[in-house]
Amino acid sequence: MLKKTLACTIAIAALMAAGPAMADTKDKKIALSNNYAGNSWRQAMLKSWDKVTKQAVADGVVAAADPFTTSENQVTEQAAQIQNLILQGYNAIVVNAASPDALNGVIKQACDAGIVVVSFDGIVTEPCAWRIAVDFEKMGASEVEYLAKKMPEGGNLLEIRGLAGVFVDDAISKGINEEVKKNPQFKIVGSVHGDWAQEVAQKAVAGILPSLPEIKAVVTQGGDGYGAAQAFAAAGRPTPTIIMGNRQDELQWWKEQKDKNGYETMSVSIAPGVSTLAFWVAQQILDGKDVPKDLTVPFLRIDQDTLEQNLATTEKGGVANVEYSQADAQKVIAGK
Amino acid sequence: MRAKLLRQPWVYSFGAALAVWLATIAYTHGQGAGAILTAALSFATFTIIVGLGQMMVITTGPGNVDLSIPATITLSGAVAMKVMDEDTGRMAIGIVAALGAATLVGIFNYGLIRILRIPPIIATLSSSFLVLSAAISYGRGIRIKPPEPLAQFAEAQVLGIPIMAIAVLALSVAMAVVLSRTVYGRSVLAVGQNSRAAWLAGLNVGRTRFLTYVLSAFLAGVCGILLSGFSRGAALNMGEEFLLASIATVVIGGTSVAGGRANVPGIWGAALFMYLLVTMLNTFGASAGIRLILTGLMIIGVIVAAGGEEQR
Repeated sequence: MLKKTLACTIAIAALMAAGPAMADTKDKKIALSNNYAGNSWRQAMLKSWDKVTKQAVADGVVAAADPFTTSENQVTEQAAQIQNLILQGYNAIVVNAASPDALNGVIKQACDAGIVVVSFDGIVTEPCAWRIAVDFEKMGASEVEYLAKKMPEGGNLLEIRGLAGVFVDDAISKGINEEVKKNPQFKIVGSVHGDWAQEVAQKAVAGILPSLPEIKAVVTQGGDGYGAAQAFAAAGRPTPTIIMGNRQDELQWWKEQKDKNGYETMSVSIAPGVSTLAFWVAQQILDGKDVPKDLTVPFLRIDQDTLEQNLATTEKGGVANVEYSQADAQKVIAGK
Repeated sequence: MRAKLLRQPWVYSFGAALAVWLATIAYTHGQGAGAILTAALSFATFTIIVGLGQMMVITTGPGNVDLSIPATITLSGAVAMKVMDEDTGRMAIGIVAALGAATLVGIFNYGLIRILRIPPIIATLSSSFLVLSAAISYGRGIRIKPPEPLAQFAEAQVLGIPIMAIAVLALSVAMAVVLSRTVYGRSVLAVGQNSRAAWLAGLNVGRTRFLTYVLSAFLAGVCGILLSGFSRGAALNMGEEFLLASIATVVIGGTSVAGGRANVPGIWGAALFMYLLVTMLNTFGASAGIRLILTGLMIIGVIVAAGGEEQR
């Protein structure tokens, strides 16, 4: 299997070396297979896909770029959906997968049928597919790095985790905890699961808060900072430095506090527009470009001085976003 | 007297809630004892509202359950926030619109069950997909802030007791009276015990079930409005955790899953127990895996303790 992939890569490389052989993608069809649409991040992801790919189709870059979403976030359902996409003759399938390994069988079928498979956000481990991954551990570590700079004297931290059992939750939490080990002036005194939802985070924080000592900062995973702020306010406790996750409600709250009392924090998450990066990567592969199997997407960080600008471009109820262009994709592919 | 008290199924859920609370404050050496109770009352209120609706549905007999509660909560929250649009003057119309939408869901549910003869578990599950899709296309993940008075009402406290908890206590008392003193309430119990016997006795079985599904959806609508006030905004996943919570509180609280026997105080005990249990395990610093295992074991324990009497 690996041999075959290698052979393919060499063949493509040889083709490229032979001259500027630009395969044309204007007859190619790309599909998006998406496993879930029930939160604001996924809604923004689909909107970005819609906006960028419609333009690409209108410009004649590709023939079609159709999004398909399963209703139940189930592996079996998404596997059936991908099988349909194979039969419908798409040239490339961009996947946000319900599971990193359970879809490998059907992904392999797609590869064997000569279809380019690009996974992003929820990536797949099947070697024949491309992966656009986020360095979640680094994202978690960056929160503690920021706090270490902001409050060198350290203090007690409250950690809000995501959905238990999802690898993203483990990765971000690992990054946070390892960085805390490097900065022993910080101590995580409590940890709750907020499921990346404001209501759940608010409920969990409100429950544990009465039993905790003074909290200097809250490290989060996104979609939970606003709920944490509500819980602190309801308990009548001083507001700690809460790391935000780029949601509009979080940024709006931050802006209000900043105007009121100069509140300082930072916000970090991945932009839902990563779906458009995956689209352009698929297009580049169809175009015959040599693309490494593992790509890393930068995360979107908002600081005190970029808050207003990001808040202005984020719609109510949405998530701070960047949409990627073909040129951006080429930069990521080149590893810059 | 004591033996009579121990035969009440709701005693066990309150006992469990009390034990869990005592264990938590023993661990923190008394720190935050009152604040934990305040938080428990605030959050349990939402579960109690939908739990009351679910209790009525389950009481109408085997197979009756409302799985569309989470979707209805989300729809009602989205409609309320969008219609109100942060404007205090539009609060009344927002509440009416949200409750109207929720009531329509209840009517639709019963329509599927009665006219298309779909089993309730499937009917309410499929309608929940439709309702959630409607909420998504209507709200598009929108988190609009509630008008200030609504948020303040949802958060207000008197001597550490949330006003909302007092209001829901009144609702619960009213519900208990409805169950034991009105024709509708008695019909629910009779239909749940034996729907054929109830029909032969001249009760209107269809109307009783219809009203019950509408009531459940209506209460989910109330929960959606208050929840979006309390957490300052509606979100697409705001109802998710109430699916299992609504059923679990009903069962832990001592209402018979086979129908025909309801228990209002048990809902309170169970909702407080569920919240305090998670708080206790969070306070102990238990990992997510251990927390889920212990939650499961303790729920089984309470149900077995409460149900032991009648299994002879």
